[in-house]
Amino acid sequence: MSSRRSRQSSAGVSRISDDQIIELVSKLRQLLPEIRDRRSDKVSASKVLQETCNYIRSLHREVDDLSERLSQLLATIDADSAEAAIIRSLIM
Amino acid sequence: MPLSSLKPKMRPHSSLKQEFLKKWIMGLQRCSFSKKNMSILERKKAIKFSADIAMASARNGTTCWSRSLISNASKEGSDIHVVEQILGSESDRPAVENKVPTRRASVCKKIVKRSCRIRRRRRRRKCVASAPSSIAKHLVRKRREVLKSLIPGGEFMNEICLIEETLDYITSLRVQVDVMRSLASASVRASE
Repeated sequence: MSSRRSRQSSAGVSRISDDQIIELVSKLRQLLPEIRDRRSDKVSASKVLQETCNYIRSLHREVDDLSERLSQLLATIDADSAEAAIIRSLIM
Repeated sequence: MPLSSLKPKMRPHSSLKQEFLKKWIMGLQRCSFSKKNMSILERKKAIKFSADIAMASARNGTTCWSRSLISNASKEGSDIHVVEQILGSESDRPAVENKVPTRRASVCKKIVKRSCRIRRRRRRRKCVASAPSSIAKHLVRKRREVLKSLIPGGEFMNEICLIEETLDYITSLRVQVDVMRSLASASVRASE
């Protein structure tokens, strides 16, 4: 992919404009819980990317844990309460 | 459709949650949970699989990552009926995805590649032909590679595409986590 880009531009670097990157990176910062709370404008793009990767990994882990937990919960949902009946009828 | 026009944050969160929940439940029903001899691990995999397909399908084919996720899932073959069940409910899917399931994986992959190529071409035309910026250079290659490995279909994306897809992917993941958490706490309350 990067070789295709470098063929296009003479300097061998991407022709994406600075402003586009800044805008997108700032949007990404809004989503990341740690960086958002820091209230500093001086977070580097590299740091944002790193936090992004960490955040995505933690979200993946959470989905995995929740799946496991749900698997155990749904296996034992035999109670007679109204909510149990609803959940049973929804999912099984 | 240019991704920037989607503005995921402006879309009401609750409707995305409802879309996800509806499709996830559809997928779970298809997994025939009533089989009591399903192991915990099997059930967990089914839950996660349905959740991922539902999350991707809630995007209705508008993002690259969601199409990649679905096409990768279609390749595995084992739970293709779950995929069909969930995808079959999409209202405005492009006609090409309604073809025979066995061709679905190759069709999806073509769509993914084609749409990323088109988006890349559009970006190049729009891009300001200024000197390479230092920030663009400094999107550290290594971190970018890691991010690409985390987003489904990331290896096909250029920098702008990658960041936009990441924004949408994170939003969708959060919806997925929220809904799953709600169901888990409801199940806990129900079995008390």
